[in-house]
Amino acid sequence: MSNVLLIEPNVVLAGTYMQALQHAGYTAVHARGAQEAVDAADATRPDVVVLELQLSGHSGVEFLHEFRSYGEWQTVPVIVNTHLSAQAIAAVQPALNSELGVHMCLYKPRTSLQQLLGAINQTLAAV
Amino acid sequence: MNQLVTSAIILARTDYGEADRILTLLTPDYGKLSLLAKGVRRVKSKLAGGIELFSVSDITFIKGRGGVGTLVSTRLVKHYEHIVADLERTMLGYELLKRLNKVTEDQPESEYFDLLRGLFEALDDDEVPLAVVRFWFAAQLLTLGGHMPNLRTEAGGNRLEAGRTYDFDFDRTAFRAAEPGREGRFTADHIKLLRLVFSGGSPKLLSKVAALGTLLPACDELVRHLTVVIPS
Repeated sequence: MSNVLLIEPNVVLAGTYMQALQHAGYTAVHARGAQEAVDAADATRPDVVVLELQLSGHSGVEFLHEFRSYGEWQTVPVIVNTHLSAQAIAAVQPALNSELGVHMCLYKPRTSLQQLLGAINQTLAAV
Repeated sequence: MNQLVTSAIILARTDYGEADRILTLLTPDYGKLSLLAKGVRRVKSKLAGGIELFSVSDITFIKGRGGVGTLVSTRLVKHYEHIVADLERTMLGYELLKRLNKVTEDQPESEYFDLLRGLFEALDDDEVPLAVVRFWFAAQLLTLGGHMPNLRTEAGGNRLEAGRTYDFDFDRTAFRAAEPGREGRFTADHIKLLRLVFSGGSPKLLSKVAALGTLLPACDELVRHLTVVIPS
């Protein structure tokens, strides 16, 4: 059973994602912010991370830099699921992919639960 | 053991063993330091307090025998919070921090600390375009490395003239007059912009230069080329 670390500031949305993840057979843990996510990663050793880039306090990019600075988390796949449009992240996406190991970027408003689960399955199958 | 106090900016953080972190810091008084931050991994401080990136902190530390000292305490003095509110500014900040960390492998001068603080101030100000920040930072690195181009005279020694246009001779790191009947890439306004940036003009000041959008591409290309030709 794979562990999913979900980093999502919207608690209601996170509740829906958590239900879907658990229903799909994953063990999932939810963190609302970057620091909470680092602590959760320490405690649960995630197999994949699903990340919103816009968090309160520290941003998703700061989380990624911090996360990747630890040896054991350098290869954990990360899926960005954000409400920022492809246009908004176009300038930073190459660096997200190449330097911070983001496997894919999903545009949250147009990503169904099934598509998110599909992306997680696909990512886990590829590693 | 003597405890030392200084201002510091974090350049990088890496893990060390199960519970500790090694911080690479730039200071005005002691150059670049590697300090062991004990127990940081197991407390809620990985992204918190005085060990945040894009911040200036006051630190207390003990010098180590093997090059790695120990961090005793930190106090956050200034956090440049607008940087991390913008994805592109954050990414550029990380990129330039990494570059500075690389070019200061040897013991750096205190000017590098001032450069970094200037960089944070520029990134924190959303009225300063990122292209200007990048251009300014590359020019300052060239200056600190002693690779400032000659902006006063031509490669042949004649003074640069306002009415002429020039091309840049990378072998001699100086301008040469454009061939007769041909417009050179650089006008007097380009050269003024280059003088401004290489004399330490702030990014804010640069961003207010008239016709910056027209002048910046050629000047930026020149600075980038110099950075490649003459590694800092």
